[in-house]
Amino acid sequence: MDTFLQACLNGLMIGGFYSLMGMGQNIIFGVMKIINFCHGEMLMVGMYLTYVFHAWLGIDPYLAVPLVALTMFLFGALFQHTLITPSLGTHSFTNLLFLTVGMGVLLTNVAQVIFSSDYRTITTGYSSTILSFGPVTVALPKVVSFGVLIVISIALFFFLKYTPVGKKIRAVSQNPIGAQVVGIDSKKIYMITYGLGAALAGVSGALLTLFYVINPTAGSNFGFRALIVVVVGGLGSIPGAFFAGIFLGLLETLVSLFIGPSLRTLVVFATFIVILVIRQNILLRRA
Amino acid sequence: MFRTIFSSTFRRRAAAALALLVAVMLVLPLTLSGMPYIQNVFILAFYMTTMSLAWNLLGGMTGQNSIGHACFMGIGAYTSVLCVTQFGMNPWVSLPIAVLVTAVITGLVFSQCFILRGPYFTLVTIAFAEAVRQIILNWDFAGKAIGVGLPYVRGNNWLLFSFKDRAIYYYIAFAMMVGVYLIMKRIDNSRLGFALKTIREDEDVAAAIGIRPLKYKVIAVVISASVSAVAGFFYACYYRYIDPNIMLQSASVELVLPAIIGGSAFVEGPLVGGILMVSLSEYLRNTFGGILPGINLILYAVVLIVVIRFRPTGILGWYSHSAFRDFLEGRVLGRNMDKNGKEAQS
Repeated sequence: MDTFLQACLNGLMIGGFYSLMGMGQNIIFGVMKIINFCHGEMLMVGMYLTYVFHAWLGIDPYLAVPLVALTMFLFGALFQHTLITPSLGTHSFTNLLFLTVGMGVLLTNVAQVIFSSDYRTITTGYSSTILSFGPVTVALPKVVSFGVLIVISIALFFFLKYTPVGKKIRAVSQNPIGAQVVGIDSKKIYMITYGLGAALAGVSGALLTLFYVINPTAGSNFGFRALIVVVVGGLGSIPGAFFAGIFLGLLETLVSLFIGPSLRTLVVFATFIVILVIRQNILLRRA
Repeated sequence: MFRTIFSSTFRRRAAAALALLVAVMLVLPLTLSGMPYIQNVFILAFYMTTMSLAWNLLGGMTGQNSIGHACFMGIGAYTSVLCVTQFGMNPWVSLPIAVLVTAVITGLVFSQCFILRGPYFTLVTIAFAEAVRQIILNWDFAGKAIGVGLPYVRGNNWLLFSFKDRAIYYYIAFAMMVGVYLIMKRIDNSRLGFALKTIREDEDVAAAIGIRPLKYKVIAVVISASVSAVAGFFYACYYRYIDPNIMLQSASVELVLPAIIGGSAFVEGPLVGGILMVSLSEYLRNTFGGILPGINLILYAVVLIVVIRFRPTGILGWYSHSAFRDFLEGRVLGRNMDKNGKEAQS
């Protein structure tokens, strides 16, 4: 029972990161209808930025979160404005897809050239503090990160729901032409959306650094899981993405507990294909 | 109806140029016999181009973007190696089995998955590739993470498909690439090719005029996967050793890039992109790999981004409207063209 509770807690913690990644991917996919294939790599960039802030400037990883968010927002907005926006609409889906794929390859290998492929970690005074709740134990940074992550998720939900910019983002995602008709500058919204998605990925990376190894391919696990979250949680739904992420995290840890850790990824991916196909069949039958 | 009428001068000169090119490619390995590394680069380029041609049937012609082709190749490679090592078969016998197994697996899986369109299909190919890789990682029979190797053979042995002389691999890879190209060219001009291109442009329109998208997409993926399996067989026989990492997503991405850079709307796109990019990438890996690992992939990514941003139709898309084409085909080869590159009636 204790191991079960412990597994559930671990699943919840890792699931929170899948949620946050999924939310970023969700708004990008929702607004521009492109899969952002460098989402995991942007998480990795967020990790390295935190590492740089910590190791070179001595900034605490949690204080670095807003800095990472800002840097990644600017990076995302720039990437969107200079490369993706000009290719939107005029050319095929293939090109857009491989534009983000190319960016992912570029980020991974630039990180490799700068930082080499060594595994790096960040240690602070509190990073090995362990909290125990009855039978289960959890590291303090995990709890703090999870808390920050919940706050960000709720903030994002209200941002999209009530602020003018959030409303504009939702308008463009529902109907880009209609949004333009009522005077929304869709190019600007694209920039903000992609910047926001990049910032969310970067923040996920920053929050991970205290208990996850930093290396150039660290993001690939999260990148694809973010896509699973988008598909399972439903397009445009922040609560959907949140619960899908938690579900995915729990599924993974429970599969490794009951079936075996080596089959974890296989089960997740197979489940994903089945969910995708069944969902589409249901949608088609309803139509 | 679509046949263009070429002038006899152009036909003669183009045939001569083509024959010259093929002759150069055939004589090349003989002059390189002391340089196994260069031969290796060519063999790799031919192999990658073959894979890219296979991808282009599904991605470029049918518009279904797969990021799982390394897995099709991997299934083929694993099947043939396991047939040889576990069942003691001759490699030549394992080739048709590998193609068959790959075709059946992809046919069965993707006939269910083609209900998904656009990005969702891409996601399924990634998930499928990763799932297969995980199965092999957990399967004792397939050697788990360590991988499986073909037995060592002395000297050149046609029966066991193992050669000491790289030039023979070079010729086999070259023949494989040219053969696959000719097949793709044939498909491009056939009823099948037109059906696939119609599906690429608009699936609903295709369905409305009597082309069943599901049927044709399954045909495309089965052909594409079978060709990948042949390439996988060659890969296994050339390197004599395979492990699950050949199916990584990054491998799938790498073999799409030649098609995109060359121009995925053209059958020749992967050919041009593959030969150019693989040799450039290998050169960089060789020259700077020791100091800056990953530099060749940075170049790859930068070229890809620049091509997509500024020449979205790829190298051949640029070529078909360029002054260089006027010079090459008009002046040198004596073709009568109007401004749009169409045949002038004279």
